Amino acid sequence: MAENKLSWTELRRALANRAGVSEKEANLFLQAFNAQLIEALKQDKQVKINGLGIFRLQAVAPRKSVNVSSGEEITIEGYNKIAFMPEAGVKELVEKGTVARNENVASLREEIDPLVKLGAQADEIVGILGELGQKPGDVQGTKDDVKDDVRRTMYEGPEIPEEPEIPETPESPENPETPESPENPESPEEPESPENPETPEEPEEPVKPEVSETPEMPTPQESTPEKPKYHFMRDTLICVVVLLMLLLVGYFFLRHELSGWINDFANGQPKTENVQGDNVQSTMYEVPSDKVPGDKVPGDEAPSVEEELLLTEEITEGSRLAWIAKKHYGNKVYWPYLYEANKDRITNPSKIAIGTPIRVPKLTAAQRDTTSAEFQALRERAYAATEE
Amino acid sequence: MIANATGLSKKKVEQLIATNNAILRENLMSGKAVQLQGLGTLEVKAKREREIVHPRTGERAVVPSKNQLVFRPVAHIKDELKKI
Repeated sequence: MAENKLSWTELRRALANRAGVSEKEANLFLQAFNAQLIEALKQDKQVKINGLGIFRLQAVAPRKSVNVSSGEEITIEGYNKIAFMPEAGVKELVEKGTVARNENVASLREEIDPLVKLGAQADEIVGILGELGQKPGDVQGTKDDVKDDVRRTMYEGPEIPEEPEIPETPESPENPETPESPENPESPEEPESPENPETPEEPEEPVKPEVSETPEMPTPQESTPEKPKYHFMRDTLICVVVLLMLLLVGYFFLRHELSGWINDFANGQPKTENVQGDNVQSTMYEVPSDKVPGDKVPGDEAPSVEEELLLTEEITEGSRLAWIAKKHYGNKVYWPYLYEANKDRITNPSKIAIGTPIRVPKLTAAQRDTTSAEFQALRERAYAATEE
Repeated sequence: MIANATGLSKKKVEQLIATNNAILRENLMSGKAVQLQGLGTLEVKAKREREIVHPRTGERAVVPSKNQLVFRPVAHIKDELKKI
């Protein structure tokens, strides 16, 4: 920037030469000019310099902000700033700005699209790898690669076409290199880091990190030291997780199935041997079994359904009342009781919103009698509800 | 005013201003920044092209890259003018 800036002395000298005055006079003039400019700015808030532009004092209104560390609200007081608006002609001149602009744009371009550079670098790398064994070349190669990587992280999109090139290049030049030492043929095949120090060749070492850096993306041939390990670790992890999940699912499934079987077994025929079934139920869910013999009065039915809850269960996806009934009562025919107990939440028993909590009431021996008139009526009501 | 302060003739001052501006323009045109002592710097800044969105219609347009003349005041001038 230093050579790209016209310093005060240079300006003074140029002015003196051009206007045909002494440097001293030019200096005097410039200082007076600047002082005058500031004074005028202070007074009139705006100074127009013909042939250049307008300096203007712009007021910045006070605004509210928040103290980042304490979260307090603070007001940033208004202040003035100097704005400069170039004259139209000057603006155009600058815009055309021949040399400067081209340079600037060129530099910007370089920053923007690395593809061109990348291509050049790839060629460079190929050349360098071709002449392997030369230290300086290697060092530069690594540097380029580091650059490459930085680029890659910054611009992931456009590089993709570049990828297949890079992993190939390090491989092919490496093979001609291998016969140089007896131990080398091993290293490209199973490039583990402990093997590298064994190789007597020095240039080998700078190459390795480079190679490991280049094919970062998932590519068909992966001869990098870290990659396979990483993949292995990840695969095993995934396997373990999947296995665990399978086990869990299996466990739950089995448990439900088993409980169902046990109940079925204990009930034998749930329609007739209700008392036994209830006993099993009570032991399983730790419900006092003293009610078993007594509650045979039909009048008790309604309150008992609502009052004595075994537990509540949430409807999950794929779940249904019959399924819950089988789970807790041992037989899916008892699902109308669930509907009855959750009437306030369920309008249509075959269409229940996922996540709906379902109260599971305790069934008495009388309720387990599927031949009773009450149950028949209940079932009809429940089935009618599914038609809605 | 300047004539009074410096003791130079009015004509000369005018001429000086004109040449001064010419010099500034030439330098700025070639992309050179100009330092004005005790005042600030006039420099050319390259603006990248950017995308704008029309707030109402949601249209997108690209503002092409361009050069802009920017004035950067010296710190003490900036502070001085802040409180007026």
